[in-house]
Amino acid sequence: MLNDVTFGQYYPAKSFVHALDPRTKLLFLIAFIVAIFIADTFYGMILCALALMVIVIAARVPFGSVLRSVKGILFILILTSVLNLFFHGGEHLLTPENWVIKIYREAIVYTVFLLLRLFLLVMASAILTLTTTPVRLTDGIESLLTPLKWIKFPVHELALIMSIALRFIPTLIDETNRIIAAQKARGADFESGNIIKRIKSVVPILIPLLISAFRRAEELGDAMDARCYSGSKNRTKYKKLIFGWRDLVAAIVCAALIAGVVLFNIYAAQIFPQIYEYIVIS
Amino acid sequence: MEEKINGASPLNENAENAAPADKTAAAAEDCAVKFDGVTFSYAEGSAPALKNVSLTVKKGEFLAIIGHNGSGKSTLARLINGLLLPDSGKVTVFGLDTSEGKNPLKIRRRAGIVFQNPDNQMVASIIEDDVAFGPENLGVEREEIGRRIDWALKAVGMEAYRTGTPSRLSGGQKQRIAIAGVLAIKPDIIILDESTAMLDPRGRREVMGVVSKLNKEEGLTAILITHFMEEALLADRTIVMNRGEIVMQGTPSDIFLHSERLEAYNLSLPRIGRICKALQKSGVGVADCLSPEALAEEIAQEVEKLGAARRSLPYIPAPSGNSSHEWDIDVKDLTFTYSAKSPFASKALKGINLHIDEGEFFGIIGHTGSGKSTLVQHLNALIKLPQANKKYRAKKPKKGQPAPVLPHISVGQFNLADKKCDFLKLRESVGMVFQYPEYQLFAETVSADVAFGLKNFRKGITPEQTEAAVRDALEMVGLSYEEVKDKSPFDLSGGQKRRVAIAGVIVTRPHILILDEPAAGLDPLGKKEIMELLHKIHREWCSTVIVVSHDMDEIADNCTKAAVISDGEVADCASPRELFRKADELTSLGLDVPLTAKACARLKELGIEIDTDFTCEDFADKVISLFEGGKQDA
Repeated sequence: MLNDVTFGQYYPAKSFVHALDPRTKLLFLIAFIVAIFIADTFYGMILCALALMVIVIAARVPFGSVLRSVKGILFILILTSVLNLFFHGGEHLLTPENWVIKIYREAIVYTVFLLLRLFLLVMASAILTLTTTPVRLTDGIESLLTPLKWIKFPVHELALIMSIALRFIPTLIDETNRIIAAQKARGADFESGNIIKRIKSVVPILIPLLISAFRRAEELGDAMDARCYSGSKNRTKYKKLIFGWRDLVAAIVCAALIAGVVLFNIYAAQIFPQIYEYIVIS
Repeated sequence: MEEKINGASPLNENAENAAPADKTAAAAEDCAVKFDGVTFSYAEGSAPALKNVSLTVKKGEFLAIIGHNGSGKSTLARLINGLLLPDSGKVTVFGLDTSEGKNPLKIRRRAGIVFQNPDNQMVASIIEDDVAFGPENLGVEREEIGRRIDWALKAVGMEAYRTGTPSRLSGGQKQRIAIAGVLAIKPDIIILDESTAMLDPRGRREVMGVVSKLNKEEGLTAILITHFMEEALLADRTIVMNRGEIVMQGTPSDIFLHSERLEAYNLSLPRIGRICKALQKSGVGVADCLSPEALAEEIAQEVEKLGAARRSLPYIPAPSGNSSHEWDIDVKDLTFTYSAKSPFASKALKGINLHIDEGEFFGIIGHTGSGKSTLVQHLNALIKLPQANKKYRAKKPKKGQPAPVLPHISVGQFNLADKKCDFLKLRESVGMVFQYPEYQLFAETVSADVAFGLKNFRKGITPEQTEAAVRDALEMVGLSYEEVKDKSPFDLSGGQKRRVAIAGVIVTRPHILILDEPAAGLDPLGKKEIMELLHKIHREWCSTVIVVSHDMDEIADNCTKAAVISDGEVADCASPRELFRKADELTSLGLDVPLTAKACARLKELGIEIDTDFTCEDFADKVISLFEGGKQDA
């Protein structure tokens, strides 16, 4: 039997990365993002990319599904790279003087950097959602937000809202599919016609869905009352996230990565002075 | 009020005997729940949902409350734990008045409610987290919560699912999780508010088994609210409610002795009671029985007594009057996999072959998740065959391998494997009513909702034609057109809404009508009316009616032929008479058999063979003719 909710991107497998504490993964992701943004040498970038490769292998998710996550932002990638390529200034002009379009060497270096950054960023986030169920993710976020209780931030309520939302997403998806099928059986057409017609055709789905959501909310409220819910006061929590040896390993890897990136930033000029100008963003 | 109850009740002797006992045992702890002249209405000035109700529930008692939809039985449950407060009168739980200050919270620790829809009472996506919700609210220590989860899940037999997710469970299993969630609070009283209404028979048995066990072994006071008479038989005491009043009370067998009265309260006798009454009416002296096995033994005794009775009866098949095959349905090699090519792929259909002749009242039987709903959605191309998709390209078979078998479906002259098939026309001819169709209503008025399908199928239909068809459809389902046409469908009662939804499908007069659990969640009278309506439609103009059901008695009573779907395959397809004779096979698939089949099986063991089509009426007739034969021989 599969253990968790099956919507979203989650890819079930048994791996080192799957077994990590969700908080570790969240913090690692943040650290990784910091690393790729402070890296201003290609060596640092390659180090990040290598780390990501190792993580993908350790996560035992198909590389294709990680790459697929980039598809969603393909348009943004192309747009930003084109803009940067043409409008980023610099000193070393590559195109002939009389051309309208001017491309500088710095622009190319910068664009490649930017693309690498975005790629790594999206793929790293994809690994988080591929290896962590929404439920574990929520638990992790709640746990990380706990310190905010001191400034009266309603952490508990937020966590409960997220938990209930996650719980009802599959139920409401089922319900939506059933309503669509029922209206189709009555001859409804959701696939053809102009925009106005299509918007109109959503009404027979939306209204029953809303009514059902309200009915469910009301019943859930009663059920929560009947199970003695009275707000976050004096409430205990059963589930506890516990860091294990894996998390320690992850923390060490993370520290090594950041250290490597910083070292390359400082010493790149000394190590490879002859190609220095090609490997850093000016 | 007490007199009124007694006056109305044929069981006044019992009630009076019980009353002094209650008073002597006045210790608050012994009396779990006490209602004192309670009246309640939902809105000021509206008819009261409960009228001057008085009642006591003793600690450790198993009480069943039965009544038709809207009889006030669910209101009663909500009054017990303070979700609702009485307008007048007093409700006390272990001596605590529900309307005083913080008492409701204290009471909810001691009286838990399990509601009707298992989906709508779970807060977490992981089962142990959900069970932990109650104790967390009470501030119980972490380790103790862990122990309570262990205990509660064990008590409902779901310990293997502890870290699983509820979305993959059957209704019965979900409801058992909901019970565990209530148990984890460690209540003294458990109230089941129609908790079995949405379940299939197996799920109902699971839940009832758990409740009986908790009552007997853990000493929990159980209050069961239901409209299934069969379930009330398990209780120590039964209360019958009608229009907000208690009209009968006593042991279950006491209640069922007064069947005529039950029918006056929109409740029906359990099927077994109907058979007993029919036999008694014809002079077969069986006692009132509560189980089919006991009934079989009673009949056998009678046969012994009369001595000369014939021991077996031949079956005379009813002539089938249909020779047209214009609207036959043919399904070949149908396979279907949900979320194919994903890690969550699940095979729903594994090669279905099925032929449904025109004119049948056809039953499709199977568990939740057996694939029966997936199957019927193929019949009007809501799920299209792979070849019928626009993008489909036939794959060339690999060398040395036989070409893959493609599924094929034809309905009348429609070939569903053909891309050019007119699917809109097909859906007009094959009407489909989904489970709980009232949840799909959306329009502002009843007539607009009913006309929705008509306008989709017949573009350019005149308003006059539409009105006539809508009027026809509404009157067909037993509603008055003038009365309901301008009402909002959401202002109607549950049963009426379902009728409107059915009208919205039959408005186009389909040749084939498919209904998924048409009677689910209705009270016995509502069920009976829906089935009668379907027979009327079948008789008057609809050539084939297909009913998907998990209620074996419903199939036995109504269908001319039925297919058993088990684990994505057709396990059997035959008339009820042949199907239910093989009761063992059905039981080995984990399916139920009608109670008439159970009685027949027991009779066979006792040396009496009855060949019946397993409807209650035919079974009773056959038993009676057993005795007539005996008399003739003598």
